[in-house]
Order: sequence, then structure tokens, then C-alpha cells
Amino acid sequence: MGPEINHHPLSRADGSVSFSNNLYTILAAVNGPVEVQRRDELPEEAAIEVNIRPVAGVGGPRERWLESVVTAVLRSVLLVHMHPRTLIQITLQITKLPTQKLRGAWKDVSVLPALVNAAFLALADGGLPMQSTVTAELFTISEDGEIHASSAEGDLSACTGAFALAYNQHGEMLMNESAGNFSLEAWEKAGDTAAKFC
Amino acid sequence: MAAVSLIPGEEVPSDRLPKAKKGTLTLGPGLRHILPSTISATTPGVLQVDHKKAAVWLEYPNGRYQPSVGDLVVAQIHHSTSEAYSCIVTPHTPFALLGQLAFEGANKKTRPQLKAGDMVYARVSRASKYEETELECVSASTGKADGMGPLKGGMVFDVSPSFARRLMMGNGKGGVIVLDEVGEKARFEVAVGRNGRLWLDSGSVAVTIGIGRLLQQTDEEGWDVEAQKKAVRKLVKDLGG
Repeated sequence: MGPEINHHPLSRADGSVSFSNNLYTILAAVNGPVEVQRRDELPEEAAIEVNIRPVAGVGGPRERWLESVVTAVLRSVLLVHMHPRTLIQITLQITKLPTQKLRGAWKDVSVLPALVNAAFLALADGGLPMQSTVTAELFTISEDGEIHASSAEGDLSACTGAFALAYNQHGEMLMNESAGNFSLEAWEKAGDTAAKFC
Repeated sequence: MAAVSLIPGEEVPSDRLPKAKKGTLTLGPGLRHILPSTISATTPGVLQVDHKKAAVWLEYPNGRYQPSVGDLVVAQIHHSTSEAYSCIVTPHTPFALLGQLAFEGANKKTRPQLKAGDMVYARVSRASKYEETELECVSASTGKADGMGPLKGGMVFDVSPSFARRLMMGNGKGGVIVLDEVGEKARFEVAVGRNGRLWLDSGSVAVTIGIGRLLQQTDEEGWDVEAQKKAVRKLVKDLGG
């Protein structure tokens, strides 16, 4: 079963999308290009601000790290030079968590693909100019060395390594985060599978 | 020919591009030129081609309005300075400047005195990503107002910029016949701003609100011509002819 996408659920945001895959549901809203604070202003490009809100609470250092990863991916995709001295504001609200409790690096890596996909779809919904598409997916490598895509909860608890990889439509890698124990060959195998999948 | 839908980063197939007589091709919103000869999409959308003007662009329903020169907009005065009025064209963006003397027949003694909150119908005279947007209420070449200027009374409704564009196409080409149909039954004045703001004034409050709501619903729910006719008939009946 593929991910579920709901287009433009929020009428007051410039672009919005509700994205659910096997593990998480994310509500993404995009506003922009809007006016930027003097301190965040960049002379030649648009500033990108990503806000990630977990299911409960406002979020701490973990959410700030996730924001920095998502911002880096989006910066390589958005045409920031078209709107200098403006702000593109993206808010990602996690609305549903997987029932199984994940810890540490596994938790961080598993939510990244959903966040990146939701952010990209919301940007496309809002008509923000981008130079390519982005597709992100979570891959797990099980003990026998097999790579699985679109992992469900069962796969995550049984695997030895998990990779969050994103590619654009031309096959260029845009994001690479991983958790667990794995060898370099395993990583390369995951990379190739992902490039074909995306 | 079937319509072509593109996603960001996808190239426009070269057999779709119109042949330009003078050798220049105009690129509209949603497309960019990567040297030497690739044209690729920057947003998702349906490709539109105009062979007469040798222009090609993408249509997309959502998105914020970006000012471009020559567009007519409904702007609201925020505050005034000695040289210009600062106006709001789109919310949460820097102000657009409307010169104090940019009105028909205006000089230092006889210019319109506009207060904060007043609406004006103006044309975008300057818009670039590096400069502030500038507006004018008089045509620079002829010196006449051409329907631009302060809008008194009435009410403003918000619609999406693409719907405003369809409304401005005229002759029913945009597929919106609400105004023509209602015009047969009621008298009203309307100013459509390309920035997604619509100003309406009619004799009575009920008629103004009725027509405004009808236009907003046509936009939000994507009514076709039949649904629009039905809604207009219902409105006329509710308002008692």
C-alpha cells in the first residue's frame, strides 16, 4: 500500500498537504514568499524556515536537528534566487506516530522521509518554484542482508540498520541519514536500491 | 492536442513550443530557461501555449500572487508618507508604493487625500525581485485614469489569483459567467484585482454580499457554467427578483 496524500486541506495557507505512510502522518503547511525579519534576511536568496512540531509539546533539540536536515534538503531543491530577501516558511506537524515506541537514532531516522515528502508536496501545492522533485523513503536492512523499502513497524524492530534516503527525479541523492550497524557494502546496496525506487 | 501536465524540474517537450516569427519565445510564470536550450517547469501545472504571441506558461490554481508589471490590482492604503502611499497588495509582503501624484490631473494642490484603510484600483508600474513594487493610478502614456483610482463604499472579497485571472479574461473565456448573468438582473459595479481581491458595490448590502459570496463559492468549489447558472437563478429568487 502506498502513502496517502490529501491535497490542500488548509485553505488559509499558501500550500498544504496531509501525508501518511506506514509509520507517520504529517500535516505540512507552507507560506511564502513572505516578508522576512531583518535579522534573517539574505541579500540574494529566500530564507527557508522549517518548524517541526511533534505530536505532543513544542519540541526540543531533536526537532531542531530534524529541522536542519529538512532545511538542507529543501534548499537544494527550491529556487531561492528567484525571491531574494523573502521568507519561505514551512510548518510540519506530526499528527500520528507508529504504535511501536522507537528510541534514539531509529526514531529520528524513521520520521525523516515522511517529513521531507510532506514538505515537498506542500511546496508544490503552494506553487513555490523548485528545480526538481524530491522523493524520500525509509529503507531497512535485515539480518540476512535484504533491503526493504516502505518499511512497516514490524520491519523496523527486526532490522539491523535503517536508512533515510532522498533522491530527485534525475537520480541525484539529496539526503542520507542512517541508524544501526551496517557495512559499507550494505550502504551502497541500499543506495542503489533507493535510486531505482525513487 | 491533449493537455500536458508538468512537475517541477520536468522539461517541456520541444514539439509543444510555438514557432516564433521574430525568433523570440516569451516564457510566462512557472517556467525557466536553462541555457542553452532547455525550458523546464518550476511548479506543477498544465502547459498553456499561445501561438499568436509565441508565449508559453503554466497554469496552476494555488499560490500567492507575485506582482508583475501591467497587472491591475485592488490595493489597500496602509499609511502615507510625504512622497507616496504605502499599500498592501498581498498580505505579509513588503508594501507597494503609490506615488501621491500618480493620479489623473493631480498636482500638489489638487490631489486625492486618501486615508489608511481606503481601497484603490491601481496598475503595477514596477515590479522586480530586487526593488520595491510601485503602483500608479494613471496611465503613464495617456495621462488618463482608465477606471483606476480610489474605490468608495462597497465591499472587498478574497478569491484565488488564478480565479481573478479567469474573471479578467472577459467574453466568458475564463468560464465564469456569474457576473454576466447577474448583470442582467441587478445593477452593480465591480473591480477585479489580479492579486485575488474583488471590489463590489451595489445599491443594497444584500445584493453585494450575495454576488460576492457566489463568486467565492465558484472559486472554492470549482463550479462549471451550469452550476453557476443554477446558483445565480437561486440568488435572484432569494433576493426577490
